[in-house]
Amino acid sequence: MSWSAETIKRAHDIVARYPEPRSAVMPLLYLAMRQDGYLTADGMKQVADLVGITPAQVQSVATFYVMFKTEPKGKYLISMCTSISCYLMGADDVLHAIEEASGVPAGEADDEIGVEHAECIGACGGAPACLVNYELIEGLTVEKAKELVRWLRDGKPETINGDELQTLFGSVTSFDWAIKEDNAAIGPYPAFPVFGTAAQNTDALEPGRGA
Amino acid sequence: MSDQLVKITINGVAHHVHGKSVLIKAAEDTGTYIPRFCWHPRMAPVGMCRMCLVEVEGPRGVMLVPSCTTPIHDEMVVHTETDTVKKAQEGVLEFLLANHPLDCPVCDRGGECPLQDQTMAYGPGESRFVEEKRHYEKPIPISDLVMLDRERCILCARCTRFSDEISGDPLIEFMDRGNSTQVNTFTEEPFASYFSGNTVQLCPVGALTASPYRFRARPWDLRVIGSTCTVCTAGDSISVHASQNEVLRYLGVDNDATNHGWLSDKCRFGFEYLNSDDRLTTPLVRGADGEFAEASWSEALSLVAEKLTAIVTDHGPQAVAGLGGSRGTNEDAYAFSKFMRTVVGSGHIDSQMDDGLNPQLLAALSGKGLIGDLEYARTILLWAADLKEEHPTLYLRVRRAAQELGAKLIIVHPRRTGLDDRATFKFGYKPGDGARVLSELMAGQGEYAAARAALSEGPVVAIVGRTGLTESPVLAESVAAFARDLPNASVLPIVRRSNTYGALDMGLAPNLLPGRAAIGSPGCANLEATWGGLPTKAGYDAAAIATGVDEGSIKGVILLGADPVADMPNGLDLSSPDFVVAIDLFLTESSSQADVVFPALGFAEKEGTVTNLEGRVQKVNRVVPGPGQAREDWSILDDLSARMGKPMGLASAEAIAKEIAHVAPAYESVTWDLITWDHPDGAVVPVVAERSPLEYVPIVSSASSTPTKSEFVLHSARTMYDDGVMCQQGPSIGRLAPGAAAYLNPDDAQRLGVTDGDLVRVASTKGQGDLPVVIDVSLTVGVVYVPFNQPGGPHFGSDLAVTLVKL
Amino acid sequence: MVYPLVVTKRMMEHPADSHTMKRYEATGGYVAARQSVGQTREELVELVKASGLLGRGGAAFSAGLKWSFLAPARPAYLVVNGDESEPGTFKDRQLMERDPHQIVEGMIIAAKANEVHDSFVYIRGEYPKPARRLQQAVADAYAKGYLGKGIFGTDYDLELTVHLGAGAYICGEETALLNSLEGRRGEPRIKPPYFPAAKGLYMKPTIVNNIETISNLPHIINQGSEWFAGLSDSADTGTFMMSISGHVNKPGNYELPHGLTWREVIYDVAGGIRNGNELKAWVPGGASAPWFVPELHLDRPVTKEACAADGSMLGSGAIIVMDHTTDMVGAAERLVAFFAEESCGQCTPCREGTTWLDMILQRVLNGAGRDADIDLLLDVADNISVGLGWPPKQTTICPLGPSAVSPVMSLVRHFRDEVEAHIASAPHSGGQGVAVSIRGIA
Ligand SMILES: Cc1cc2nc3c(=O)[nH]c(=O)nc-3n(C[C@H](O)[C@H](O)[C@H](O)COP(=O)(O)O)c2cc1C
Ligand code: SF4
Ligand code: SF4
Ligand code: FES
Ligand code: FES
Repeated sequence: MSWSAETIKRAHDIVARYPEPRSAVMPLLYLAMRQDGYLTADGMKQVADLVGITPAQVQSVATFYVMFKTEPKGKYLISMCTSISCYLMGADDVLHAIEEASGVPAGEADDEIGVEHAECIGACGGAPACLVNYELIEGLTVEKAKELVRWLRDGKPETINGDELQTLFGSVTSFDWAIKEDNAAIGPYPAFPVFGTAAQNTDALEPGRGA
Repeated sequence: MSDQLVKITINGVAHHVHGKSVLIKAAEDTGTYIPRFCWHPRMAPVGMCRMCLVEVEGPRGVMLVPSCTTPIHDEMVVHTETDTVKKAQEGVLEFLLANHPLDCPVCDRGGECPLQDQTMAYGPGESRFVEEKRHYEKPIPISDLVMLDRERCILCARCTRFSDEISGDPLIEFMDRGNSTQVNTFTEEPFASYFSGNTVQLCPVGALTASPYRFRARPWDLRVIGSTCTVCTAGDSISVHASQNEVLRYLGVDNDATNHGWLSDKCRFGFEYLNSDDRLTTPLVRGADGEFAEASWSEALSLVAEKLTAIVTDHGPQAVAGLGGSRGTNEDAYAFSKFMRTVVGSGHIDSQMDDGLNPQLLAALSGKGLIGDLEYARTILLWAADLKEEHPTLYLRVRRAAQELGAKLIIVHPRRTGLDDRATFKFGYKPGDGARVLSELMAGQGEYAAARAALSEGPVVAIVGRTGLTESPVLAESVAAFARDLPNASVLPIVRRSNTYGALDMGLAPNLLPGRAAIGSPGCANLEATWGGLPTKAGYDAAAIATGVDEGSIKGVILLGADPVADMPNGLDLSSPDFVVAIDLFLTESSSQADVVFPALGFAEKEGTVTNLEGRVQKVNRVVPGPGQAREDWSILDDLSARMGKPMGLASAEAIAKEIAHVAPAYESVTWDLITWDHPDGAVVPVVAERSPLEYVPIVSSASSTPTKSEFVLHSARTMYDDGVMCQQGPSIGRLAPGAAAYLNPDDAQRLGVTDGDLVRVASTKGQGDLPVVIDVSLTVGVVYVPFNQPGGPHFGSDLAVTLVKL
Repeated sequence: MVYPLVVTKRMMEHPADSHTMKRYEATGGYVAARQSVGQTREELVELVKASGLLGRGGAAFSAGLKWSFLAPARPAYLVVNGDESEPGTFKDRQLMERDPHQIVEGMIIAAKANEVHDSFVYIRGEYPKPARRLQQAVADAYAKGYLGKGIFGTDYDLELTVHLGAGAYICGEETALLNSLEGRRGEPRIKPPYFPAAKGLYMKPTIVNNIETISNLPHIINQGSEWFAGLSDSADTGTFMMSISGHVNKPGNYELPHGLTWREVIYDVAGGIRNGNELKAWVPGGASAPWFVPELHLDRPVTKEACAADGSMLGSGAIIVMDHTTDMVGAAERLVAFFAEESCGQCTPCREGTTWLDMILQRVLNGAGRDADIDLLLDVADNISVGLGWPPKQTTICPLGPSAVSPVMSLVRHFRDEVEAHIASAPHSGGQGVAVSIRGIA
């Protein structure tokens, strides 16, 4: 699928943000994921075009980073931390529960849900923890994890809000989250204004030097 | 600082070496070999394999460091053979072997594999790795020429670095990371690089293999002889590998002066034509029925001697013309020159096919430089053919100068070229409009101001030639004239056919005699004595010969490895002359029209010398005997001379070389011994100073402008792979020609109402063809580019003006 | 016990809105930045040097000294490291989420001190919320004229770009981070060049500092270097943030003074071990640090010097606490697996060795251990980190490979019996073992 004029414009703005165009590869790969849900060959070619490197170079960069997915991961990607602190707090059982409840083994995805194990996601104080479309849940349990899967399957939420997730499925946190946020993720890539979030007004967050 | 001598102590022995080097190199130069996989002297170190770890004494004790990334410094104390070092090396080898399939018996590298060798030398005994190995799909073709077996790969990044840093087409890359890291191409894009074969040679294991060589031979069966590649004019050093009288592969050999060890794929895989079943093996004589029949050498030679003598007797020697000689050795070229001038007595001789440059400019330009001057250039002016297509290793050298050494590169060319991504300035233009561009560049007007300023910063290297076949050769001459006077300038005038420079130096041009003497120059006493007199008048060049043929004044034509019908932009009508004799490897479009064809020996089948674009004379060597009764060109010509009653007395290629060294002023002293022993990288002539009678000084000429009122002008240029005989007869590279098409600027396409793939009819006064459109933003409006000599493609001659109609 | 707070003070006192420009300015924000824009490079570098501030990214290198090394060539760049991915570490996340202006202000100061006009924060991709908060703060600062052309009405220009990573721990290593920011694979660079301060981003002089390091700067400007140095008796000045996780009652981030004992940290600060269980071991400074055990280390001080003397490190300030129920082979495997999975793959010993170590540990855990496996573990480890000493001798480009050796060494040193027990209970004990394939990267 080719990119809309608006997306191309945004891409050019991102490229202009950096002293050298190649630096824009990672943000543009996120933009490409937003276009197609994951990184397609066309998406990578588009990025290559925009920054002036070969598609092979783009693919080489993309496949280095685990968050750039070259295969579809569904609408909701659950990344369950299995690193040391979460492991100590029972992460393996939680991951199994997620796999079982969703019917999706780690590393795979159906049209709706993707499941994967992740290395430490910086929520060790709230272990075990997982990410849903990179929005965090801390203090997960086997039961809550199953509920989460059901909630996703049945409710099919349009967007994923971290505070809502934490309220519904989380408990102990790494620190007081204190501040609520209405921003939310709209796909299996991080919700960051530059690539798109569910927030209405992100104008203030447009890239562009000295805006 | 960089050139100061520093003292380093390796394993207790002190050495004084130049200070700007990494440890592994300094150690090697002083006789200590440190094992390595990823380091390569021509590429930036990556420090990945960790095989080269050594111990270095430092303020904080003895440190284990990779010798390929560690610069040397004064008073450095190094240990390369301690127990710690040995343990580290064994550890690395064990790690590399852990996931290696160990399928050496079926691996092309088996027997010449550094991993295998180093395991023998430094490695552990049996495997302690009992886990499951990494698995990948076994060899996958990543291009038409290269296969990749990721299980064998040791991730040394030589292939990826080469394509990124050296050849500038990063199409092969590391994918994934960590223990899943693998080499691969983009999902949908093959490793379509003109230089892909170098990665096969660089790969320290059998992960990358060349499909033309796969399973063909084992290294221990190979006969290997050094030689010089004769595909382009750079004179790249190679080694020729043969088994059972068949050439199986070429490898690049590192020559500091020329190729740095690299080869283009056309050069590397171009040997296949030598083994073609279509090679001529016996003389062929056209019978009364008009068909060729095999003949004995003496029959065929007598017939040719008789016919040529008859033409000379009936119509005078000037009724015979000779074409060719730029594909063979200097010795063959000399024999042809001597034959035409002393046996036939005609001066109509040309080794260029009306697509080159003024022979005096090529042979004897005053201010001519060396390829190596690129290493010191601050500014490079490139106004010539697309080097990537026609001069591949020179392309690599210019790329290196611009990319690694920081030279400013100015490119003037009607279309995109392979070096545009490294150009500081790139100027496009419409063929025919070159003189205007030159005068504005010279004046530093408008958009040319900054480029002109850069040209005032020497040293300047200027590479000049014709950007395409429709462009006047006078333009390149004007550019050379301008460039010569730039500060500290070296000018390299370039043409494409490999031994053109050698052929010209042997007098295969209407106005040149052997040794860079213009007809009539003084200083040719030895030549005069040996030849028994010298011509006093210049003959016809290829274009004039074609006219002579058309007008009927040329009755006999001798072709020496030339295919003017296909190769001359405006063709040659070979049905007109009374008698045509061809010396060739194949029945080409031209030789198939001859009356007699002699089978010739080709590259690797004969010995001799060749001269590259710098004037560097290097040796080519015989590795295989050649097919059937094929013979050296010189010996065929010598035999003919005897039968025509004027024996040239040429006894062997080496004897001819001695004769050249005696008679040809610029080649004085250039014997085979000299270039074998004193100048193993080749000797640049003249080796004896002041022994070039001709010093050509070009002038800027307004004749280089040929403006036309036509809506479209044609840009026609050669591509690396085309419909030439090497590609036709080489199955591996034969498929790779891009094909004929009409490349158009998007505005022109829009105006004509066509887009990619639509057919247009392109017509000149010489020919026409219906071609698919390819949109090309790099072209100026009003220019149509058609690659020259494509399979099934039309020939438009050298006409600038063409018409275009949508079909 | 109440300890003085520096970088977490505002968020503790104003939990609801510590992240806003309004609150930030109402609590003295941007005064330091405004002041430092009028100061010279020499003044600022000297001030920070005198404060004794050490880098909080793990290497604990003097921030002022690093700045003073910046090569004179320009442009130069400032890159702030928010890649925080070391297992057990989550302090920078809190600083970014809860007090993002503190980082923006710190960056203005660091930029001015280093004559930088172009700065970047590299945030790990799994931290979209911290990135959003910081991006909002950056946008607010641009709107106020604290960033962009002519900041604070002076003629000093400063651009700040928030850049999101995409899942690669190794990008925390500063040269890998720079490669990543250049749009390349996040592979650490070979040395030389030895420091980004000489050749960093785009091979130009570059300062790389950690989020916490940067967060301290406004306070040093406002309250002086003496005040900051006076907060600590250790050579390591100021306060430091500890991320405590694992089997404790009160996991979380704590801003602490230097010099408490481990007993105080684990039992007082973090509330002791869950369910009243027994403390078995802890990782003192991130996954790469050799483990401490109560018998030897509980009453040792929590300082850089003491940890080094005891053969480990404080690193990024992450303590992971394990109680007596922990299967130490399992814990070691999980740590090694992390490094195996996060190896960039350049160096043979790291790429092949870490995976091999993990495969052996997994095999032992899966009941297919062999008697030879302990020696094999040690020897493979030795081939990654020659001599198995501390600090590790590196056979690799960056320290990640040798980091994987720490858990193996700690396991064999302190809990060899547990490994032997696993092997002894294996059905194939003493035999050839059964190959298992490693968990794939999902
Ligand atoms: C494997 C590895 C991972 C690292 N990860 C981080 C990290 O996540 N965050 C960080 O600030 N520094 C990390 N570092 C340290 C950085 O290389 C660098 O020293 C630091 O960012 C400098 O900032 P500081 O001087 O302010 O501490 C890591 C180093 C290594 C070797
Ligand atoms: S394919 Fe060969 S050259 Fe390329 S990385 Fe692998 S081993 Fe090295
Ligand atoms: S040690 Fe590991 S992570 Fe570091 S550069 Fe080498 S392979 Fe990459
Ligand atoms: S170990 Fe799971 S979040 Fe850190
Ligand atoms: S040769 Fe030095 S690391 Fe490979």
